[in-house]
Amino acid sequence: MKQKLLVLFSFVLLVSMVLVACAPAAPADPVDEDEDVIRVVHLVNGVLGDKSFFDSADRGLRWVVDDFPQVQVNTIEAGIDPARWQAALEDAAANEEYDVMILGTFQMSEFLERVAPQYPDKYFIIYDVSVDYDLGNLDNVYSVLYKQNEGSYLAGVYVGLMSETGVVGVVGGQDIPVINDFIVGYEQGAREHGVESVIVQYAGGWNDPARGKELALAMYQQGADFVFQVAGGTGVGVFQAAQEMDTFAIGVDSDQAVIIAETDPDQAEHIPTSMLKNVDNSLYRAMSMFIEGTLPFGEAEFLGVAEGGVGLARNEYYERITPDEVKETIEQVEQDLLDGNIVVDTVFN
Amino acid sequence: MSFDVVLRSIFSAAFLASVLRISTPLILPALGGLITDLSGAINIALEGIMLVSAFTGVIVSAYSGSVGLGVIAGVISGILISYVLGWFHLHMKTDIILAGIAINILATGGTIFLLFVLTGDKGNSQSLASGTVPNIHLPFIQDIPFIGRVISGQHVFVWIAFLLTWLVAVYLYRTPWGSHLRAVGENPDAAETMGINVNRTRMIALLISGFLASFGGLTMSMAYLSFFQREMTAGRGFIALAAVYLGGRKPWGTLAAAILFGFADALSHQLGSLRVPSQLVQTIPYVVTILALVIYNLREQAIKRDRQRKFYEQQQAEMGSGGGL
Repeated sequence: MKQKLLVLFSFVLLVSMVLVACAPAAPADPVDEDEDVIRVVHLVNGVLGDKSFFDSADRGLRWVVDDFPQVQVNTIEAGIDPARWQAALEDAAANEEYDVMILGTFQMSEFLERVAPQYPDKYFIIYDVSVDYDLGNLDNVYSVLYKQNEGSYLAGVYVGLMSETGVVGVVGGQDIPVINDFIVGYEQGAREHGVESVIVQYAGGWNDPARGKELALAMYQQGADFVFQVAGGTGVGVFQAAQEMDTFAIGVDSDQAVIIAETDPDQAEHIPTSMLKNVDNSLYRAMSMFIEGTLPFGEAEFLGVAEGGVGLARNEYYERITPDEVKETIEQVEQDLLDGNIVVDTVFN
Repeated sequence: MSFDVVLRSIFSAAFLASVLRISTPLILPALGGLITDLSGAINIALEGIMLVSAFTGVIVSAYSGSVGLGVIAGVISGILISYVLGWFHLHMKTDIILAGIAINILATGGTIFLLFVLTGDKGNSQSLASGTVPNIHLPFIQDIPFIGRVISGQHVFVWIAFLLTWLVAVYLYRTPWGSHLRAVGENPDAAETMGINVNRTRMIALLISGFLASFGGLTMSMAYLSFFQREMTAGRGFIALAAVYLGGRKPWGTLAAAILFGFADALSHQLGSLRVPSQLVQTIPYVVTILALVIYNLREQAIKRDRQRKFYEQQQAEMGSGGGL
């Protein structure tokens, strides 16, 4: 027995020695030799496949990789459990090999405020929120925000012009500032163009399409003929409800009618437009500026209609379903937004 | 939204139809939870079984082009998963709660992994043309003004849920296997000495629960919605377990509890249209649950007191008549 233990022990010792010997060899990775390579880590505090927000960010980074061969992107999905996000950020910041770390959402901003100053030689890009630059020490963080209230205002104007019942709805994922920024803009646009009643409901989660469908059905039942979904994966159920009730739904973040049309052209007919929040464009823009060396770190930028950060999707469904006078009004409103003639409400200051 | 519109929506046929629709994916797994709870080996993997069945049904129906095959495959997958749970618990002597948690985690990750392998998408299966089960339009009944709009046009699983509740009630209280199952749950040692095979009885209960829960999963992906989405069961397998206890561990009680949850949910969807804080509306299902528990307990206590009083009076009467002799 003792002998066996001894053999086992020496075997374990041997293996660990071999492993230790291997360890220093790791940095000899050819990637590190190459000084021109820009290593990017994209930390997703959630999962890809939401057909809207994170997928849009991912798409933008894939454009970057296609156009700039020196950029390598490594995506980390931290999962939907918020308790693990802080640890995921700290681990990635400490252990990953990267030059730029990209992450998003307001839930992560506080964590980043604590982590970024610890790595002054690394760069951080955070989207859809701004870190609090008054804290100081955040000269290596660039924040990009979207005027979702402006884009949603356009969507509100659209449903206001299109609605026949004077009742429209919006399904939000959660009752949080970013989502409410969509909702105030939408409501303002809709009310200024003839809508009497805007039904606002929150699903309380991003991955329950059955609930999204049920909420939308309740709205259609209460007389709404357009429902705007701002609820990620939950919102997919809103489209099914629109199809079932033969009414309309407005997509969000990506051009969702075009995505859905690939497999369900009939359902896409019920999505005349989507409010685009062009996370993809903004990250592509940020990375190209980074490569040029012009990206303003230590600052936050707001991208609105003028900067191509937000807008309405104009696909074949939009063209077919929308009457010409509505299209003209939308263009006029868009111009007014560009010129600053219209001020849209916001929940942020 | 004005209050009278909301009120009118609540007292409409469409509202009751939505209650049935929301309740169905709770009733089916709840029945499964009930059977295993009565057998003494509670299945907390209902959530995972539902996910796996929802996924398998969609995938098989998409690739075979047959809804029937999808449903059969979904049910088989559900039974297989509960067999795995039973094997770990009954043969390998693992704690069933631990094994159940493991299966839930495996189901969450496993379905996403396979979804990604098959479709290249981690979100949902919308890129696959999967089928849905038919809706049942009842001739004649659908022409009855109010009732017709409630019960006609529902998908077939709504009917299956009620049918299975009846079958489970018959199985548990009208067959020898049902009494064996309950005996095993009440007192396994006593049942063993009576010659009942405890392990086999519990395995059968687990397999039946897998069968029932798989219908709940298929309801989500092939009736309620027409695709699979990651984690789409969203905790319904656990709410189903709550329905078992709220329903007093009885089949029809479980059905009623599941419908109560569905009702509370549907109510919150309608009331959410009013300008009230969303957090308040989202508490409605939980408030209703607590109220139901309080009422249930008060009633139980009243019955108990009543019984004690009768027993006491009877004794008094007997003693009185005894004294006379």
